[in-house]
Amino acid sequence: MKKENTKKIFFGVFLLITLIGIISAADVSYCCERTTGGAWCMNMDSQSECDTTGGLKAEPTFCESTSYCRMGCCYDSKEGTCSTNTAKKTCENGGGTWSNNADCEIEQCEEGCCIVGETAFWNTLTVCKKYASIYGLEANFRKDISSELQCIISTNLDVKGACVFEENGVKTCKFLTKEECNNIEGTTDSTTTTTSEGSSWLSNLFGNDESEGPSTILSISSTNFYEGFLCSAEQLATNCAKTEKTMCYNEKVYFVDSCGNIANIYDSSKYNDDNYWTKIVKEENSCGYEASDGNANSQTCGNCDYYFGSTCKSYQRGTDKSPKYGDNLCKDLSCKYNGKTYKHGETWCVTNTKVAKLNAPGSEQFRLSCYNGEVLAESCGAGSEGPRNLVCSETEINGYSSAGCVVNKWQDCTAQTEKDDCENEELRDCKWIKTTNSGSLKLTKEYCIPSVAPGFNFWEDTGTCTDFGTSGTITCVVTYVKSILGGKDCDKNCACEYDSWQENMAEVCESLGDCELEVKVGKGEFKEVDA
Amino acid sequence: MIKRGEKRGQVTIFIIIAVIIVALAVLIYFVYPKITTSGIETNPTQYIQDCLKGDIETNINKISLQGGSLNPTLYSLYNDEKIEYICYTNEYYQRCVMQQPFLKTHIEEEIKNSISEKTKECFDSLEENYKKKGYEVNLIRNDYSVELLPEKIVTTFDYYLGLTKGSTTNKYEVFKIVLNNNLYELVSISNSILESEARYGDAETTNYMTYYHWLKLEKKAIGDGTKIYILTDRNSENKFQFASRSIVWPAGYGF
Repeated sequence: MKKENTKKIFFGVFLLITLIGIISAADVSYCCERTTGGAWCMNMDSQSECDTTGGLKAEPTFCESTSYCRMGCCYDSKEGTCSTNTAKKTCENGGGTWSNNADCEIEQCEEGCCIVGETAFWNTLTVCKKYASIYGLEANFRKDISSELQCIISTNLDVKGACVFEENGVKTCKFLTKEECNNIEGTTDSTTTTTSEGSSWLSNLFGNDESEGPSTILSISSTNFYEGFLCSAEQLATNCAKTEKTMCYNEKVYFVDSCGNIANIYDSSKYNDDNYWTKIVKEENSCGYEASDGNANSQTCGNCDYYFGSTCKSYQRGTDKSPKYGDNLCKDLSCKYNGKTYKHGETWCVTNTKVAKLNAPGSEQFRLSCYNGEVLAESCGAGSEGPRNLVCSETEINGYSSAGCVVNKWQDCTAQTEKDDCENEELRDCKWIKTTNSGSLKLTKEYCIPSVAPGFNFWEDTGTCTDFGTSGTITCVVTYVKSILGGKDCDKNCACEYDSWQENMAEVCESLGDCELEVKVGKGEFKEVDA
Repeated sequence: MIKRGEKRGQVTIFIIIAVIIVALAVLIYFVYPKITTSGIETNPTQYIQDCLKGDIETNINKISLQGGSLNPTLYSLYNDEKIEYICYTNEYYQRCVMQQPFLKTHIEEEIKNSISEKTKECFDSLEENYKKKGYEVNLIRNDYSVELLPEKIVTTFDYYLGLTKGSTTNKYEVFKIVLNNNLYELVSISNSILESEARYGDAETTNYMTYYHWLKLEKKAIGDGTKIYILTDRNSENKFQFASRSIVWPAGYGF
């Protein structure tokens, strides 16, 4: 008896150990430091997928548990850049400094507004200093500016004015900042070197040095800076005068003087106004400031505004209206799509199917955007293996459309039994439907189904549709009773026998995914029941 | 006294000589500059620039279209082009792992490696040409580097070239090739996109086009959860594109 019990115990322990081994083998994941496909730090099903050459590691565990593939923040002190979710070894091999904080919420990675000269951009302090050193300028790192957009539009333009000087005996002018003006002060001798492609055959024949052309000696007298003045100001008595020419500068149309300097923003009504050619007029005091259409296609005003949908471009003969002066105007950046005009910056939703149903197999939703007069399409399926895991959501405020791809929260729709729970938009994207068949016998059923059915890769033999099991099965048990006359009378759920019921169920079925309704009719047996 | 016939003959000869001179002059104009090979006699810097510029531009273009690598190892195919994954995961619902944390440095290295053979060829050819012209050539080849800078790409050869002929020696200490290209800006914006991909699994393209008016940013879906980001400078048509796979939803119910 004792021997038998002992045997049983040993067998039980052996079985237990074997079972643990089997289960562990089934769950094991290998953390490949590098896969054979070239990816760093991936969890793979098999060790054979790991590249183990050159001492690269492959441990039978998840990467989060290893030291070589621990994720964190990688800081490159040379460039000043930070890289999120980077493996420790990858970072250290590249000469970076690794930190435990995977989201790079460390001081060195703190971003702010960097202003260098007339340029503003959003980045770290180290990047800002490096950029400034390239140009030999001072870096102004503004932590008080809290957003990238605010940063880009807050560029501090140094005060400009007329920098008047004599060049080779001629009184001339350049429109510069005070610092730039000071830098050209004094007498300068310079030799200009010219390399022209079509050098004279004589110089080639006699082997003259192509790289040094004729020398020009510049003699510049001391400069005078007149803040707020334009070079075309008559009282400055320079050789710079007003012209009918215009040019694009900072995305706006500006008048140009005869010396090539910009004057004020193009306003055709001010061409003959001497004051308009004397002092700088700020853009907020210029024509069409903050016009809702950004002065797009205006023949008379060049105060373009990118955010209102216009920018300075040279006009196209035959297509654009000719500006009154010059060759540039504010180009309209809006777009035409399917007969409708969309403003620059607008985004809207479309689907790739002409079929009314949003759940049609293969259908996908897209977000279209209008930028710089061009319509760009972005699939909401990007980032998903199947279509419609993300769907397009659109809103319109004051005629301005705004859209985005959002997660389609369909997963627990079929589990909801109450209408309020079903239609809770914060938790899920479902709809509550009532199906009532037509015909003399009514059967009303209520279902919670996804508003937009998820898409399957039905062309692959993944068995997604066929493996639904109970999730994708609607069972209707029709009960019959034997009649006195020997036949059978339908007692319960008789409406299920009608085609209209099946049609309603098809709608429910299609809402679960890219599946077709398959009807199976089973036969039952008569049973004796208590009265 | 010159007879009429003889006078005509003299004129004819002069015409023929004039035609020959003109023909020679035209020949010299078109052929002789090519023989002198862009002024190699006095401008080795220009020679190196002309020799290497084309290759550098071609390789920059190729590398930019392939996600920053000359020969991508971990890549996605898009329009028959291999595009490197810079941030990648093979799993569902997981954030991507940064594959190239030092993207700018990596691109600089790739450009540098792509021109190593041509660099050797060009400097070999330079050396040989000067020797043929009777110069004593002292060429010391140190290292060279490629740097992405705002609005330009600078290739700097820390080479020393000493040319001696007779009692005259000319020295050239650094050779530089500067190309106008805003790859620096495109890579900088790409880093920002990748950070968003690694943190949130996605990046909002319209924000970047609002901030940077010259930028066209497209996001293309491959279908396996991969996204291809294509950054284009509307003014210069310079392009940089890369692949990313982060927080991917499986198809259907995930059975």
